[in-house]
Amino acid sequence: MIPGLFSNIRVIDLTTDVAGPFATKLFADYGADVIKVEPISGDISRQMGPFHQDDPHPEKSLSFLFLNCNKRGVTLNLETNLGQKILRELIKDADLLIENNPPGYMEKLGLGYSDLEKINSNLVMTSITPFGQTGPYKDFSGNDLIYYAFGGQMYISGAYDREPLKHGTPQSLYLGGMVAAYSTAGALFARRALGSGQYIDLSLSEVMAADQFQTIVRYGFSGEVTRRSPKSDAGDPKGTTFNGIVPAKDGYIRLSASPPNRLYPRSGGTPWKEYADILGKPELGEQLENNNNTADRDKILLPVISDIPKFEYFHNLMTKDWNAAVVQTPEDLSTCPHLEERNYFTEIEHPVVGKIRFPGEIIKFPESPWDLRLPAPLLGQHNSVVYGEELGYSEKDIVQLKQMGSI
Amino acid sequence: MQIDGMLSGVRVLDSTTNVAMPTAMHILADMGAEVIKIEGHTREESSNRDGPFQFLQHGKLGVTINLRGDGGLDLFKDLAKVSDVLVENNRAGTFQRLGLGYEELIKVNPTLIMLSNTGFGQTGPWKRYTGIGSFLELTTGVSNQTGYMDQGPRQVGGAWIDIHAAWMTVFSILAALNFRAETGKGQHIDLGMYQVGVTTLGVELLDFFSNGRNGTRMANRHPYHAPHGVYPCIGDDKWIAIAVESSEQWDSLKGIMGDPEWANNSEFSSRSGRHQNQDKLDGNLKAWTINYDAYELMHLLQNSGIPASIVPNSAEIMVDPHMKARGFYEKMEHSPESGFGARMFVGRPWKASKTPSYFRRPTPYLGEHNDAIFGELLGLSKKELGDLESANVIAEVPPKPKEKKGKTAAGGLQNLNNPGPSLENGTLAYIDADYQKRLGVEE
Repeated sequence: MIPGLFSNIRVIDLTTDVAGPFATKLFADYGADVIKVEPISGDISRQMGPFHQDDPHPEKSLSFLFLNCNKRGVTLNLETNLGQKILRELIKDADLLIENNPPGYMEKLGLGYSDLEKINSNLVMTSITPFGQTGPYKDFSGNDLIYYAFGGQMYISGAYDREPLKHGTPQSLYLGGMVAAYSTAGALFARRALGSGQYIDLSLSEVMAADQFQTIVRYGFSGEVTRRSPKSDAGDPKGTTFNGIVPAKDGYIRLSASPPNRLYPRSGGTPWKEYADILGKPELGEQLENNNNTADRDKILLPVISDIPKFEYFHNLMTKDWNAAVVQTPEDLSTCPHLEERNYFTEIEHPVVGKIRFPGEIIKFPESPWDLRLPAPLLGQHNSVVYGEELGYSEKDIVQLKQMGSI
Repeated sequence: MQIDGMLSGVRVLDSTTNVAMPTAMHILADMGAEVIKIEGHTREESSNRDGPFQFLQHGKLGVTINLRGDGGLDLFKDLAKVSDVLVENNRAGTFQRLGLGYEELIKVNPTLIMLSNTGFGQTGPWKRYTGIGSFLELTTGVSNQTGYMDQGPRQVGGAWIDIHAAWMTVFSILAALNFRAETGKGQHIDLGMYQVGVTTLGVELLDFFSNGRNGTRMANRHPYHAPHGVYPCIGDDKWIAIAVESSEQWDSLKGIMGDPEWANNSEFSSRSGRHQNQDKLDGNLKAWTINYDAYELMHLLQNSGIPASIVPNSAEIMVDPHMKARGFYEKMEHSPESGFGARMFVGRPWKASKTPSYFRRPTPYLGEHNDAIFGELLGLSKKELGDLESANVIAEVPPKPKEKKGKTAAGGLQNLNNPGPSLENGTLAYIDADYQKRLGVEE
């Protein structure tokens, strides 16, 4: 078997929702043994829709299925003494512990970093919280919307005279997962020279502030404050040329198309004739070039574009080295020839859901490739393997633990 | 043992431009890696050393190599020989054509870790397509779900997908360093920004496979909970974001509002009722929030356990007491010649207890570390360095002493302040003349 990037690494995953599970998924996808520890009632994200075939069943949450593949799953009640004892036993042999409880919760259970490093000085512990472990807002709660707002991204997103806007999918949580993964991998690497693990305090609202550093750096350099742009978008009659998203024949494209460097005239300006040629409308070149008014150019261009299939527009420009973009839908992505050739999609058999198609490899590592080894665990699926075979509890012990409500 | 940063002792060659990869490289530098930024002094972009450039390239050592010059490729290979990691973001195939492909470089350094970042990766039919983050926001499918309910799709990120790629690059390099420490093997990592972005839509893809849903505009709404949006407060363009995710939170909110009659209407009593009737719910909520100061309301709601936030602009977020207390912004001292003085920059959204990351040095000027790297590290003599300079393979271009920049943001600072069109959404709202005083970096 080809070893994964993290083949010899064991991760104890106490996280819920999206950010933490995405971080531990990155480790799991590249070979780590991730043990997802759920409360007896199950990770709250098992209740999160959408569900497979819209059936609200705890093993059918698509979010749970996507974020927890390649992990093993156990249940444990951390609020009992026995549960805490078992977690300490798991920690003894673990490399990483990732959790997203409110600040102070783990300490209250006697499972804070200062307690756990005594059991395992090699442990890297990462805590993911809305506002971090310190500071006046540390006990504030958050979610994707709150991070978009607090991080400053929303203030510059949307229409000038309407309410600020966020992305329609919880991008901030995926970004939080990426930061958790890289900072934790950094501490894992540093263990060799440092001789021990350490503690990482991650704030999801800071993740969003770091993501949109541009306006912050701009203020820090010039005192200039950025607001949402009055520039218009699809459906807005004010004019969009070379900005905004506009309707093509069968969907949307970004009209903006920056030309390749070799065509960028030093004096500025767009090579309209070249653009008109690419659209297959050379007769429009001169008209566009002589027209300096955006709204007027739109009157010429938008009807032409609205008649061009979106992918035809995209490929025509991209193959000529222009930058173009097409708004792809999930259906478009599912049939994308590029993803297909890069073997992005794969299939997996899940005991409850059956065979499902699955989005896969995020980055290509030739020596240690991405691998879909396990579907997301059923609730408590690996209790007997982990507690029995690995921690050495007898079958009788396990039955007793169950009866006591510890697992 | 004490070490100065997680990546202490790791040498990284940075042959990248634009936003995504320079971001990844300054993070590695903050984490303690020795990052050597290789620039072509004959290229036009190397002269653009504006404000964002000063942020994006901080922490790195700077050398110049003109790869087309006689001996330029050898010099590059000599650096690759003594480095752990090489990162490049040229169009797929460019490095191979130059004779700097991975298969060539491992001849001089068999355990080299190389990462190639492009829009679409090193293989596949779209591999030669250009990939700019703000365009990929659409092509990855993020924009399909994004926008007001009554409009088409929208782009809302600044350099969206660029930072996804930056952070995944840092992860990839650390993963490969761990793997190499275990197995002795380097590798050539293929990171396509497109695939990184698409992966953040995993749930939407599964929803299509399982249920045939093809995505729709969500505005600020949650797929199941309400209220969930931004509501106006006192003042121009002041808002409060409120995210109610449970019945307990809804009950708390009702309590804070003084149990108004509308809120007790049966159509809002269940989660699904609030979600289905959220146009009406939002209308009523707006009429309440508009009487409040946004900061005051954030505290009021959060103190009762309701997720809520101000919607700060860049000035407000930089002076926010919580961000200040966390030390999220860090001061960078620039050289006197640069004219930039002291500036507050964005730090990292995480803190490590034993190996802190920090800004180690300001952005180098062109060729600032040629002598240190080519001379001391590679062992070239003064004469050899001189010959390379005469042959225009390397060059040192110190900044000419300039007047102080950026004291105020009046005209004439275009180059300094210009964030570049691909970097940022938005438009200038106002200029805060006292920004340096507010940030505590007044000279």
